[in-house]
Amino acid sequence: MTMSSDHKDHDPLEALFAQAQAEPAVPGDDFMARLIADAASNQPAPTAPLHRAATVRRRAGFLPRLVAMLGGAAAVAGLGSAAMAGLVIGYVQPDPLWSLADGFGLEVAGESLDLLPAFDTFLTEEDPT
Amino acid sequence: MPRDDLALLSDEALLVLYANGDPQAARALTQRLAPRVFAYAMRVLSDRAEAEDVTQEALLRLWRIAPEWRQGEAQLTTWLYRVATNLATDRLRGRKRRQADALDDVAEPGDDQPSAVAGMIEADRMAALQAALDQLPDRQRQAVILRHIEGLTNPEIAQILDVGVEAVESLTARGKRALTALLSGRKEELGYDDVI
Repeated sequence: MTMSSDHKDHDPLEALFAQAQAEPAVPGDDFMARLIADAASNQPAPTAPLHRAATVRRRAGFLPRLVAMLGGAAAVAGLGSAAMAGLVIGYVQPDPLWSLADGFGLEVAGESLDLLPAFDTFLTEEDPT
Repeated sequence: MPRDDLALLSDEALLVLYANGDPQAARALTQRLAPRVFAYAMRVLSDRAEAEDVTQEALLRLWRIAPEWRQGEAQLTTWLYRVATNLATDRLRGRKRRQADALDDVAEPGDDQPSAVAGMIEADRMAALQAALDQLPDRQRQAVILRHIEGLTNPEIAQILDVGVEAVESLTARGKRALTALLSGRKEELGYDDVI
């Protein structure tokens, strides 16, 4: 037997306290049901679960998702500008570059690869007849 | 969340779930806290209807502050005991006022009037303890019940009663001395005649 239980056995007041602890007043079933109803009626509305928000994001169209993947509208606009600039630089003959290089006294190999040798004929307005 | 998992959660975690709208948390928290508050209120007030009112009001206040509850600032049970204590104290004061008004209309009691404990007919130990507790001043009774029946620590009781720890020690010591004196006349009835 432990010291504490010895103490409780020999101290009438401690024994009464122990008995009172072991036999608490119990609320009735009806009262408990009323309390649970109170708890439910005062409860805040449920918050949206996280997986629902994820589902909404998944439902977005292909283009918005592609734009988001590339870094947003600003990034896509920059990418488009760069692509157009590349196209222009690739199309225009680099004659001004040669002139500029000559101005600085640099010798630049003036060779260029003409990928569309017959392209100019499509741009002329000569009458074929 | 499954009910078994809820049983493993702390009171504070359950309250967060409650504030998030989990209906299982509402039920679990009520079933966990209501019996404790009710048992305490019953000891303090000795009246089932009043104890039910105090329990209901204390829990209503808890549900209302649930969304603003700050984790870690206070222990939920300590807060609840404090609310229940204040509500019970209000009712005890109201009871005393009504008794004082009623006494104005009757003759002064004589010095030889037997105490409630001595006058008790039933020999039931719990009834004797309750009758003796009812004789204590309100604060002593609350401190003794919280310390020796609800099993709280002195610092927790200090928070609940809004006093210092030394004051709690003094209240419980005086309360126990008074209880011993009140029950000493009933040692034989209570089966403690061979002790003390």
